[in-house]
Amino acid sequence: MFHWLEKHPFFFAVGVFLVISFAGLIEILPNFAQASRPVIGTAPYSTLELAGRHVYIKNSCNACHSQLIRPFKSETDRYGHYSLSGEYAYDRPFLWGSKRTGPDLMRVGNYRTTDWHENHMKNPASVVPGSVMPAYRWLFTNNTDINTAFAEQLTVAQHFSVPYNQPVPMKDGTTKVVKMGSSVANANAIAIEEAKVIAADMRDQDVKDAVARGEIPEIVALIAYLNSLK
Amino acid sequence: MNKLYLWGIIIIAVMLGATYLSVGGSKGGLNGDIVNILAVTGAVSLVTITVFVVVKYVRQMQVDSASGELADENWDGIGEYKNELPTGWAVMFLLLMVWGMWYFTIGYPVNAYSQIGEYNEDVAVHNSKFEAKHKNITGDKLVEMGESVFLAECKVCHGINADGINGAAANLNKRIDEKSVKHVIEHGSNNKLLGMEMPMPDRNGLFNASTGALITDAEIATVSKYVANGMKGDGAEIFAGTCVSCHGEGGIGMDSVAPNIAKFSPALVSTVLTNGKKGVIGIMPKFDRLNDKQKEAVGAYITSLSK
Repeated sequence: MFHWLEKHPFFFAVGVFLVISFAGLIEILPNFAQASRPVIGTAPYSTLELAGRHVYIKNSCNACHSQLIRPFKSETDRYGHYSLSGEYAYDRPFLWGSKRTGPDLMRVGNYRTTDWHENHMKNPASVVPGSVMPAYRWLFTNNTDINTAFAEQLTVAQHFSVPYNQPVPMKDGTTKVVKMGSSVANANAIAIEEAKVIAADMRDQDVKDAVARGEIPEIVALIAYLNSLK
Repeated sequence: MNKLYLWGIIIIAVMLGATYLSVGGSKGGLNGDIVNILAVTGAVSLVTITVFVVVKYVRQMQVDSASGELADENWDGIGEYKNELPTGWAVMFLLLMVWGMWYFTIGYPVNAYSQIGEYNEDVAVHNSKFEAKHKNITGDKLVEMGESVFLAECKVCHGINADGINGAAANLNKRIDEKSVKHVIEHGSNNKLLGMEMPMPDRNGLFNASTGALITDAEIATVSKYVANGMKGDGAEIFAGTCVSCHGEGGIGMDSVAPNIAKFSPALVSTVLTNGKKGVIGIMPKFDRLNDKQKEAVGAYITSLSK
């Protein structure tokens, strides 16, 4: 048989390919599938958070901010626990980034607050002297696209079985249910409820008024997203 | 003499000459430096060995001819001799097999390394060094350490001068401001400042013993100013009637009952860093990733600001 294979290089190559693929499948896939499952405490994004994620991507925040903490003491001291693959289970696409012009934002929700983000987005240098980050003032006037966020929620819930409207286990042993609207109107109503909680901690009167009117400025969605990064 | 050997000797001579010139021509030459001497020795031996090996094999190709018994099979006319394995090669092969077994079982066992394991070791080493170095740090050194932690972790909200950047966060140059006192009297407070659940009632639970009635708006305004001024000015009677029963004479607090509202203390600041806080300005997140010594140091620094 080996003589036959030596005389037929094509089939020899096919055989090599099959053996290596099989080894790869049984060695890599189970481990990979295990590691990429959501870790306990990772919940799907709510409607407003997902809309904020779109704002984050739209403004290319990921060009200067990474979302990946490596297991080095110098990084975990500054940013918190190193990242686990399962924590990105609901990130589509993930926003690891490749360059840190600004700091990592993987767990920014643990150590920055709504009003800090508000001050910072208006004028970064006022809270971080010497900051090179530009001001993002249009976030306070542009309105958020909730419909697209809802469309994404529907899609991932249907095709990737993202657990919306189901209890998700949290770190403290409790469960959390992330709501997804039953219709576009319902999704918008849910987003407004979330936005009211964020706006209550904000100072900008125009933003508060807009939320009271039923509009959601992009800054509110973005802050909801940043607060959810834990 | 074969032409090949002649060329070999010429190349060695040229290379050694070049080495000698470049070393001798450089500033200071070998300079008695062990690294320079080693490098030059290495260069000389490399040149010599390379030339000898090349000459040997080129010579072999020129004069050797193949011999022995041919194997049955051949590939497109290219055959194979049934020669014995070269002894050196065979011995090396067996030795490598032994080394391989050693490597996979004892030297560097499969799965013995993990990135996270290395991280954990790193952190453990760092923590024990930190512990040993800073165990007995006190006084000015502790304040200095607190300042550096403050500048790394706290200044983005509280500002470089700890003044709270125009109300974005609490001004830490004084224990408490009027707005905050007013807020906690009106709405109560539950910030675990003593390290445990110990809520302060809102205004509907604050009884003024001097007037025999619940605290009034005017009284709140007066006593807020009084506390924010460091227990000075009008409002001493209201404070005595309403606040003293828990916060003590002069507002210095009581163990397990109420925190000190006259002065900061390292313990108080540590507790806030551990639990976070919610007040009139907003939420302060907890900074639990600081270790106990760092929290104490920040506490010492903040306490030193309002002295």
